[in-house]
Amino acid sequence: MRKMKKLIPVLAMGLAIFGSPALSDGKTADEILAFGATTYKQFCSHCHGLNMVNPGTSSYDLRRWPRDNREGFESAVLNGKGDMPAWGDILLPEEVEALWHYVATRAGKEPLPEDSAAMEGAKDAPLPQPELIRDGTLHACLARNGGVMSAKRSRGGIGIDHDIAEALAAGMGLDFVPVWFESEQEEETTPVKDTVALLSHDLCDIAPGFALYQPALSQTPGDRAPLPRWEDRPEHMDQRYQVDLRPIAVSDPYARMEIGLVYRDGVEIGPIETVADLEGLKLGLEQGTLPGVITIRQGTDRMVRDADTRNPGPQFLWEMEEGVFDAALVTVGAYDFHRRQNLVSVLKLHDYRHPLGFNLGVAMLGGKPGLLAHVDAGIAALAASDALAPMAARAGAHYAAPRPPAVQPRLSLRDIIALR
Amino acid sequence: MKSPSFIAATVAGLLLAASASAQSEADLRADQSTPGDVLVYGMGYDQTRHSALDQINTANVGDLSPVWTYSLSDGRGQESFPIIHDGRMYLTTHNSTIALDAATGRQIWKTMLDYPAETPRVACCGIVNRGVAILDGTLFRTTLDAHVIAIDAATGEEKWRTNSIDFKSGYSMTVTPLVADGVLIVGISGGEYGIRGYIEGYDPATGERLWRTYTVPAPGEPGSETWPEGDAWERGGGPAWLTGTYDPELNTVYWGTGNAASWNAGLRPGDNLYTNTILALDPKTGGIKWHYQTSPNDPFDYDATNELVLTEIDGRKVLMQANRNGFFYVIDRTDGKLIAANPFVDRVEWASSIDLETGRPNHTDIYTKAVAGEQVTYWPSAFGGKNWAPISYDSASQTAFINTFRIGMNYKAVEPQYRPGVFYFGAEFSWDWPEGHRGELRAIDPMTGAVKWSQPSDIPRNAGILSTAGGIVFTGAQTGEFEVFDADTGEKLWEYFAGTGTVGQPVTWEHDGTQYITMLAGGGAVYSLFSGDERLAAVPTGGSVWTFAVK
Repeated sequence: MRKMKKLIPVLAMGLAIFGSPALSDGKTADEILAFGATTYKQFCSHCHGLNMVNPGTSSYDLRRWPRDNREGFESAVLNGKGDMPAWGDILLPEEVEALWHYVATRAGKEPLPEDSAAMEGAKDAPLPQPELIRDGTLHACLARNGGVMSAKRSRGGIGIDHDIAEALAAGMGLDFVPVWFESEQEEETTPVKDTVALLSHDLCDIAPGFALYQPALSQTPGDRAPLPRWEDRPEHMDQRYQVDLRPIAVSDPYARMEIGLVYRDGVEIGPIETVADLEGLKLGLEQGTLPGVITIRQGTDRMVRDADTRNPGPQFLWEMEEGVFDAALVTVGAYDFHRRQNLVSVLKLHDYRHPLGFNLGVAMLGGKPGLLAHVDAGIAALAASDALAPMAARAGAHYAAPRPPAVQPRLSLRDIIALR
Repeated sequence: MKSPSFIAATVAGLLLAASASAQSEADLRADQSTPGDVLVYGMGYDQTRHSALDQINTANVGDLSPVWTYSLSDGRGQESFPIIHDGRMYLTTHNSTIALDAATGRQIWKTMLDYPAETPRVACCGIVNRGVAILDGTLFRTTLDAHVIAIDAATGEEKWRTNSIDFKSGYSMTVTPLVADGVLIVGISGGEYGIRGYIEGYDPATGERLWRTYTVPAPGEPGSETWPEGDAWERGGGPAWLTGTYDPELNTVYWGTGNAASWNAGLRPGDNLYTNTILALDPKTGGIKWHYQTSPNDPFDYDATNELVLTEIDGRKVLMQANRNGFFYVIDRTDGKLIAANPFVDRVEWASSIDLETGRPNHTDIYTKAVAGEQVTYWPSAFGGKNWAPISYDSASQTAFINTFRIGMNYKAVEPQYRPGVFYFGAEFSWDWPEGHRGELRAIDPMTGAVKWSQPSDIPRNAGILSTAGGIVFTGAQTGEFEVFDADTGEKLWEYFAGTGTVGQPVTWEHDGTQYITMLAGGGAVYSLFSGDERLAAVPTGGSVWTFAVK
């Protein structure tokens, strides 16, 4: 239990450090339906019956739901209807979509109705108006100390999070207004909480660099939270000032944060398939971070015993630079940042990537379907024109494209041990 | 120096003084022998639901007629156990607490409850409440969003309210509290949501929590050796959603716990104490005196939460349970030693028998395959050989009356996905329907499981049972009938159509020389929601209270 408790903040922290891309739009109808069936069972079956069969007395018989009323269905699911509770703060957009497929096809027994098919095909139709905090502008919350992902420059900013926000604004024909904030690793807060607090306070329309990790999406990280420091923050809004947290929505992913192996130039590295293959290297272990946890949980006993455990932070890679140890698992973003800050370096990034990674998307408040549609369309356009990797390169960062599943399901310690 | 007789007289005087105050614990202990009131869930601390009243009997029950009816203004399943004291009847729904004039059905007060609109998400099997406990002029109930509340019985005003836990991650309460040795005891629901179950004791005067006994131990605690290393225990299940039984003589509370979570037992090798277990607790501290686990490492959702009935058989103090797993257990309540365990339904296929020496099931290969992740069909289903609805027990004829289920399940364990406040099954499943009827009201011998008689129904009955010295058995059907059967022969003697399904708990009581039977009507809850039985489409919901007498 002690381990588990530690792991959660570690995940949240690990997420803050990196970033990367894209969603699985390529699902077949069968896949969407299967996802709908799973989602239905988990969220709906206890009232509406296994496989959507029920007498319709204690609760609504969904087989009677008008198949041309997708909008009403989504509204009932998100906001509740009669005795039915609202699910808007917990269901993900792709889950709501899959549920509609499941219900509209009567659990796959009938074809998807014309109307919903037409809606599917309506992608060319003009998108709804984006919901903005100020007309004509797109405000984006960006960490001014966000490593290679985002950093403030005397004029403008740099990093893929900054660049993608700027490009999205341009694509929507809006003025781009960055809202720079300080990402602090306070005891009481996490990057996720900071982002949700900033959005809930209507400081910005979007917040890029949000790690798509299901527990962070399925419910708000508490009821209230303080705001991180941002430029122009009024005096009275210090840590004692708390905002009510509101449900958020996230876009399709645009990049992926990965974990790699960094080593000192000249150290012999054999072929690596699993973390256990690192045995024999003089390893450093960055305490309290996700790569550190992976090293402990997946390494051999000997490896862990012999590893050099160090405090987390930028000095960790410096210690390797100075020869305290020869190799370590770290996030690719942390390595990139170190290299940018230290033009002369003996550290190298190996081709090995750990299978665990997190896709990054753009966060915004829930209930803004127009804004979400514009951001998703913008990301798709940027991905299609191969514009994302150059944004990362401009900041000296490696770019990794997102991988399915778009949203990483909750990880338990067991999962981490099992991942290879 | 005072003589012994003087001391005895003083003590007797004190006892008299105590029993003169309203619904003291002495009154609760005497409930079984005071037919003018119904003070304890299960009609007395032994939970036999058997009454000595015989004015309504096999000879005249044909003339049983409604005396009054009262609308609950609510479409949920109605499972509340009526408490009757001093001419008043106290009832609950999921969102109200109600006091009626017991003789006329007129409302004295009704207090509405508010809970967050999201709460029903975490109720697996129906938005229900099972009633109040009463002590010293105060009523106690639980709420769906996991609060324990004290209410002034005279006015309906809230006296205190304590939040047990945040409901959002899957915790809820439907249980009727139990008063035992001055402590108010409740159990948590949520076995299908990856909770960590517990039973709690509260101070009835203040609402202060006195103790909480987790049904899944943390690493290092006794029983933790029956869980794998890792974090499985944090979401290990073991809810305690039905009311336990208090034995004043041994000053022990018996409380059953539910399934381990997720259902995928292969992921939690070990017995997984104290899930699917009958616990004997010290009411003052919550300390575990002994435990008996009915379904170790359970993949089938075989809760051991069903009511624990106290009686004496062959001079031994025993407790009995018709368990979801299909076995009827008779256990020595002084030490938890198993005396008898026999199937009370025809198809029990997960175990061939229970070893009387070790108390452990002799598993069949259906169990082994299910745990290994293979597709199986098992009987009885997760509904159980019997679901939640309580049995009655007549000690004179040594007969238990049970509403049994005749349904199996197709099942395959899969990797569970945990998300707070959402189903955490770890299994794919569907029902294995039998040819013909799906339920039987049965009269059985608890020591042998021998069936004395059986009354089938197409749709299983899921209401409680009342038996009386008048030789009758009273229950209800999900198709809407209140029913009376002959306790000896099983012959149906009477029925009355309530206009909605019934899943309530009948009680009987006496007022001004007349015997009454009261039960709630109002279809819904687990079978209606989960089975997909479309034959119930013609039976509307809508809660009401019915009181009958022979006029």
